[in-house]
Amino acid sequence: MTEPVTTAKRPGPAPTEAVVRIEGLSKSFDGRLVLDDVHLEVGRGRIVSVIGQSGGGKTTLMRCVNLLERPDRGTVEVAGDVVHSGGRTVCRDLPRLRRTVGMVFQRFNLFPHLTAVENVVLAQRKAGVPEQEALERAVTLLRRVGVAHRGLAQPDQLSGGEQQRVAIARALALKPEVLLFDEPTSSLDPEATREVLGVMRELAADGMTMLLVTHELPFAREVADHVVFVDGGRVVEEGDPRDVLDNPARARTREFLASYGSAS
Amino acid sequence: MSGLFQVPWSDYQSDLLDALGRTVSYTVVSFVGAVLLGLAVALLRLSKAWPLRALAAVYTEVFKNVPLLAIIFLAYFGLASAGLRLDVFTAGCLSLVVFYAAYLSEIFRSAISGVHAGQTEAGEALGLGRAGIFGHVVLPQAVRQALPGTNTMLVDLLKSTSLLVTVSAAELMSEGRLITSATFRALEVYLVISAIYFALCYPLSQLLLLLERKVRAGVPLSPYRRRRVRAARELLAGDLRGERDIERKEAAV
Repeated sequence: MTEPVTTAKRPGPAPTEAVVRIEGLSKSFDGRLVLDDVHLEVGRGRIVSVIGQSGGGKTTLMRCVNLLERPDRGTVEVAGDVVHSGGRTVCRDLPRLRRTVGMVFQRFNLFPHLTAVENVVLAQRKAGVPEQEALERAVTLLRRVGVAHRGLAQPDQLSGGEQQRVAIARALALKPEVLLFDEPTSSLDPEATREVLGVMRELAADGMTMLLVTHELPFAREVADHVVFVDGGRVVEEGDPRDVLDNPARARTREFLASYGSAS
Repeated sequence: MSGLFQVPWSDYQSDLLDALGRTVSYTVVSFVGAVLLGLAVALLRLSKAWPLRALAAVYTEVFKNVPLLAIIFLAYFGLASAGLRLDVFTAGCLSLVVFYAAYLSEIFRSAISGVHAGQTEAGEALGLGRAGIFGHVVLPQAVRQALPGTNTMLVDLLKSTSLLVTVSAAELMSEGRLITSATFRALEVYLVISAIYFALCYPLSQLLLLLERKVRAGVPLSPYRRRRVRAARELLAGDLRGERDIERKEAAV
C-alpha cells in the first residue's frame, strides 16, 4: 500500500490551530470500504479542498466531520474536542457540534415550506437566539450573499444559484467555526456557479475556515490553501494546490487531472 | 310537485338544529381523535422496531377491511354484551375514530416518508435535534402532502356520521327517520336531510380546497409565522423595493 505524498515544495503559511482534525478514519458501507485510514487537518482560517472522482469517498469524509456519518475507526476532532473515537461517538451534545460546523449541500436542501429569510432564522431560534436578533442576522446574511431582495420568496421560486446562496446564509447564521461545502456548484448552471463561487470567494477573503469538496479545480487552485486528492477511499496526494494540481507527484493524480482536463 | 312539500318543517326546526349540532359534534370530536390516533399509528409504522411496525400494520389492515357499520355495532352492541356499556355518543365517536384513523395513518405515513431524506439531514446539520427536525421540518412538509387526502377524509367522515342512525345517535339522519315515521313523507324528508348534508359538505370541501391552495403557495397561516414574515418584510423593505423597481424598468423596456 502506498503512503500519501505530501507535496510541499514551497514553504506554506505558518501552522495554525486545527479546527478539524481527522486521524486514521475508516468507514465501510455494507462491507465496502469507502474510507481507509484517512488523515486530514483544517487549520483555523484555512481552506482545504478535497478533490477526486465521484464515489471516491470525498463526501463521506466530509459528512464524518459533523457526524452525519459515523466512522468505523479513527478519531474526529472539532474545535479542540474529540467528537468521535474508535467507532464511538464521544460528543454528548450533537446539536452543539453541528452548530459549530456549518454545512452546504450539493442539492441545497432548503426547507420548501419556509421563505428564504425563515430558512435562515429557524436554526438560530432553536439555538436560543432572540427573534428580532435572529431576523436581523438573517437579513444581514442574505444581503451579504446578495439575495436579500428575494428574502420573502419560497425556495421553489428561487433559481438554483439563489437557493444555494440562501443555503450558505443559513449555514453561516449560527456563526460556525468551519463551513463544509459538499460539491456546492454541481447542480448549477455556469452562471449560477459563478454567483456561488463569488460568495465563497468573499468568505475566503474574510478568513472563513472551509472544507470544500469540489469539481471546480480552477476555483480550488484559486482559493484553497491545501488540496487533498482522495481516490478509492485513501488520500493519494495532498499539498499546496499549485503543486498538486499543476505538478502532481503521483501517477494516479496525473491520471485524474488528465481525465478532468479532457472532460472539462 | 305542489304536493311534495307538506311536512310542517317549522315544528321540527329546533329538533333539526339539535340534530345538526350533534352531527357537527360527532364530526369534530371523531376527526380530532382520528387525526391523533392516525398520526400515532403512522409513526409506529415508521418505527425502527419491527414489533411496533407489525402492530400498527395489523391495526391498519383490520380497520380498513371491516365495514364501518360493523364497527359501530361492535362498539355499541358488542362491547355492551361483553359488559362494557358505552353511551351512544362515545360508541359513535369511538367507531369513527378507529375506522378513519386507519385510513389517515396511511395518508400520514406516505406523507411523512415522502419528505426527502435531505430535509432531515439539513435539519441535523443545523443542530435542530430530533424533536426540532420532526416539528419544524418533517411535519409541516408532511402536512402539506397529507392535506388533500385528509380533507377528503374529513368530508367523508361527516357524511359517515349518517350511519349512526343505526344506533339512534340523534344526529341528522336519525332526526330524519323520526320525522319520516311521524309524517310518512319519506321523499320530502330525506330530500331535505340530503340538502342539509350538501349544505354542510360542499362549503366545507371548498373551504378546505382554499386552505390547500394557500398552504401550497406558502401563505403563513399561524399568527406566529405571520408576525415573523411581517417583521422580515419591514427589515427587507429597501431590498424588496429595489427588486420591484428593477422589475418595473424591465417591464417598461
